[in-house]
Amino acid sequence: MSGPGLYAALVAFGVLAGVASGLLGVGGGTLIVPFLTLAVGLTQHGAEATSLLVILPTAIVGSLTLRRKGVGNLGLALRFGLVGAVGAVAGAKLALALPAPTLKIVFAAFVGVVGLKLAYDGWRSTPG
Amino acid sequence: MRLRLRELWLDPKLLVIGLGGGLLAGLLGVGGGIIMVPLLVLWAGHGQRDAHAMSLGAIIPISIAGIATFGAAGQVHWWDALGLAAGSIVGARIGAGLLARIDERLLKIIFGVFLVGVAILVGVRA
Repeated sequence: MSGPGLYAALVAFGVLAGVASGLLGVGGGTLIVPFLTLAVGLTQHGAEATSLLVILPTAIVGSLTLRRKGVGNLGLALRFGLVGAVGAVAGAKLALALPAPTLKIVFAAFVGVVGLKLAYDGWRSTPG
Repeated sequence: MRLRLRELWLDPKLLVIGLGGGLLAGLLGVGGGIIMVPLLVLWAGHGQRDAHAMSLGAIIPISIAGIATFGAAGQVHWWDALGLAAGSIVGARIGAGLLARIDERLLKIIFGVFLVGVAILVGVRA
């Protein structure tokens, strides 16, 4: 894929990932990273970096919406996030230090655990 | 303000959750909410809605730090991100609107199984 075709696919997949995250609170990076590596052909590192840039505006819009509705405390959340930012720099540096195949295995393990947990939660809460 | 700062800086649980969520987010390019929300609810005693809002707000500085670190290494694909983000912001609103009308349990099972499939595919290609 290239040019307008690729771009239409990116926007369409963005909608899909957005719907999943709006519904389940999962599906931002968990879906975007594999899409970028498997379908668009980015490296694992490139996909992860790009995924974070997709997540940022989505989180800003979501946070502003929640604030308008009076849910939570954005100021506190942002300060809490500053602690997280220290962890994120360390995590990203660790990712950059790992070879792509190793990082892919770690990512796959993470997505697998998230998938199993979701399926288990859904199964357990099903009556009967 | 002072009370909130004390809540934040003196509660070691929040420090641990923030650091852990941020580490995961930077390492894997995800938001980190998947680990922060359950820990905020089950360990730090926040309500579900509050934890969700807290995690979403925290993702703002977390993702900025991750983008800056990966960006310095030249890994960020800006135009791809722009297209995905445009779709994702619209999609998140649709998803939130659908929330009341769907069978969440079935959706969790289907999506969970789908993610396990994605994990296998990514693992095989590694």
